[in-house]
Amino acid sequence: MGDDNSYDIRTILSQMREEYWQALAEEETEAKETVECLVFTLGGKRYAFETHYACEVIRVPKLVRVPAVQSLIKGIFNLRGEITAAIDIRPMLGLPQPEIGATGRILVVRGDNFTTGILAEAAHGVQGLCFENFEPFTSGSGTKADFVRGHFNLEDGNVILLDVEALLADPELLAGEA
Amino acid sequence: MANRYLEIFCREAEEHLASLQSGLLVLEKNPARTDLLHELLRNAHTLKGSARMVGLADISAITHTMEEQLKGMERGERKVDAQAIDLLLRGADAVALITSALMRGEAPELDVERFVAEYDRGELGQHLTPEPREAQPEAISDTVRADVKTLDQLVNLVGELIINKKRLESKLDRLKEVTYALPAEHAAPLAEFRGDLEEDVLYLDYLIQELHGKAMGLRMLPLRTISDGLERLVRDLAQQLGREVQFQIVGQAIEMDRVLLEGLKPILIHLLTNALSHGIESPEVRAAAGKPRRGTVLLSARHQGNSVLVEVRDDGRGMNPAGIKAAAVSRGVIDHREADGLSDEEALYLTFRPGFSTAEIVTDVSGRGVGMDVVKKNIERVKGGVTLASEFGSFTQVTLQLPLTLSVLDALIVACGGETFAIPTTYLQEIVKVRASEIDTLGSGEVIKVRGATTPLYSLSGMLGLSARRETGDLPLSAVVLKHCDQRIACVVEAHLGYSEVVVKGLGKQFRNVRFLFGATILGDGNPALILNVPDLFESGRGVQRTPLSAEEVQAAQRRLKVLVVDDSITTRTMEQSILVSQGYAVVTAVSGEDALEKSAEERFDLVISDVEMPGINGFELTRALRASEQYRETPIIIVSSLSRDEDKRQALQAGAQAYIVKGAFDQGLLLETVQMLIG
Repeated sequence: MGDDNSYDIRTILSQMREEYWQALAEEETEAKETVECLVFTLGGKRYAFETHYACEVIRVPKLVRVPAVQSLIKGIFNLRGEITAAIDIRPMLGLPQPEIGATGRILVVRGDNFTTGILAEAAHGVQGLCFENFEPFTSGSGTKADFVRGHFNLEDGNVILLDVEALLADPELLAGEA
Repeated sequence: MANRYLEIFCREAEEHLASLQSGLLVLEKNPARTDLLHELLRNAHTLKGSARMVGLADISAITHTMEEQLKGMERGERKVDAQAIDLLLRGADAVALITSALMRGEAPELDVERFVAEYDRGELGQHLTPEPREAQPEAISDTVRADVKTLDQLVNLVGELIINKKRLESKLDRLKEVTYALPAEHAAPLAEFRGDLEEDVLYLDYLIQELHGKAMGLRMLPLRTISDGLERLVRDLAQQLGREVQFQIVGQAIEMDRVLLEGLKPILIHLLTNALSHGIESPEVRAAAGKPRRGTVLLSARHQGNSVLVEVRDDGRGMNPAGIKAAAVSRGVIDHREADGLSDEEALYLTFRPGFSTAEIVTDVSGRGVGMDVVKKNIERVKGGVTLASEFGSFTQVTLQLPLTLSVLDALIVACGGETFAIPTTYLQEIVKVRASEIDTLGSGEVIKVRGATTPLYSLSGMLGLSARRETGDLPLSAVVLKHCDQRIACVVEAHLGYSEVVVKGLGKQFRNVRFLFGATILGDGNPALILNVPDLFESGRGVQRTPLSAEEVQAAQRRLKVLVVDDSITTRTMEQSILVSQGYAVVTAVSGEDALEKSAEERFDLVISDVEMPGINGFELTRALRASEQYRETPIIIVSSLSRDEDKRQALQAGAQAYIVKGAFDQGLLLETVQMLIG
């Protein structure tokens, strides 16, 4: 055994200690700055909103079309005995509207006035998103952003943060004549 | 306590008094908060009205004074100071004293007459003990008050139970299938288990039905709860107007949903006020017309199917169609041309038009009078219908048709535009089958005759703005005839799926302004179905698309044309049948001329296609026989034969056939063309 292969237990221990503290510190700072979000796909892009708005995520049941209402109300469904609307918010966000297929889900959100179901192309579960990566929306970027608060820059791309309160307060969601 | 309406009043009074007291105390601290006055006024006003209904003149007088004082404050004519508020509080105390004495069935410890007189003069009732009596042990009552919302939730939950029970039943059926597929030794124990489970589900079903009945019963009250007050109203009003009236009430025990009953009360007050002020003449006029001096007003209620009919009938001067038309024209409700086109019966319904009623009836009983249009709106709100009948000079009768409850409805389930809808049976007159030949064009729309009456025919899916999705193949065209007031319309639906008792669910706030819908229900398969708000379909004025039939529907109306195919060869029969069926014709086959004669006697065919050479009577003889019968004198007949000689063709035409197709040259295009040419 040569010197090269020998090891200094002190150095290793101190390294380990350093790593340990560093990890702890990282964890702490991260814990402070992440926000639990439900992530899903709308118009091919990843969107998210804070989990506290979401009641549940369900598969798309049979939707019953409602006469004489605007097109974004796709229908109603039975949510354990409560009649609930399924809405397609993609036009409101200026997004393309690919067919909602087998991966499609309904995100049930509870607003001040009513509970409603947002149709999404897919739901990706709850993720802790780090505020460090958050960029608030600035006007002038050219996108339709009435209901967007900003986006998270993640390694695998952007996740746009929806403004659920503004969305649910929009009179366009209230059924009536188109 | 003898009179339970007094009991109801006392409970109501408690609420208003508590609200008055707390409001007045806030006002005393902040005299600037005049915004509170409106609510206080409402409390006092309601108390006054209710007291009048149960005949408590003292309370009515006190609250009247309170109301005047509050009005003065609201107008700024009266100072909002401690003294004024004290006076109001004394009034509230006095009312509380009287009601609590009533509850105990004792005389109030208050010289009521003196107090009322003093209070009216604005004096503080000095002899009124301001200290409340020692708290009395609350009389134990055998009733509790329940929030209607809680009852609704209860009914809703029972509805969920019913739906879940239906699911259990369908699971049982599946279990049966599974059992059948098993070898006997495994099937036996499973079948036994299934039997036990079925018994459990049956018992559950029984319990749910009981529970449902009880839950519904909680919301029901007899008509008596509101009609007692009405007697008093009629008596007072008659005195005031100088009429002699005998007021009869029939069917006081009929029970209705309490929410409905509450909605009915103002309607009845209005109708009775009308009957007395516009219907019953003064005794002198009646005598001069040869009628008894004393008029009769009859309020009756009875069950009809699953609804309640409430009638208000008076033997007064009746409604004058000509007068109504003139009034409607002068008020700009309709123009002269429209007026001329109206029948006498239709004219009566002009009184429901907004803007017709200008005569404001101001009495201190009913308050400011409202027009009949408001009555109609109120009835629509409780899913009811109203019909009028009158003979000028002898009577007026207003009939209200109301559902028993708003939480469970009898409905016809129909398929329309690819969806399922429930139509409350109160609006349903009948279901009809529509043949293309029965559809006429009138103006720009289509009409059919229903029991002799010309009825507009619309496409329901078109009216609702849903694309018609006819998946029902060669089913005949069905229409539902809907009625509302004096109007009838027929709406084409894809199919009717039977009657059902449906649990009504609200659509929630997101759908508050939605049209055409009254609510939704959950069907046995767990999917929702929308319940139609039928009056919306009648409101063409608000831009409802009175959509004519879609091309598919017109085609469907034609599709049902029935063809009789007669041929002894199974190949030819089957071929012709499949060609015709694929084009939407209904086809019946016959294997011989005799068979054809028998079948054509049983049902009516629009076209007959026959072979010539068959055992028994041949095609020519069949044609002659059909021509000889009255039913088939005009019915087109096509002869399809392998005989191609001109002689045969001539013979066929002589027998009365319209067309002759040679089997050798047979192609389906030619057959269809010929059929379409003959019957469309």
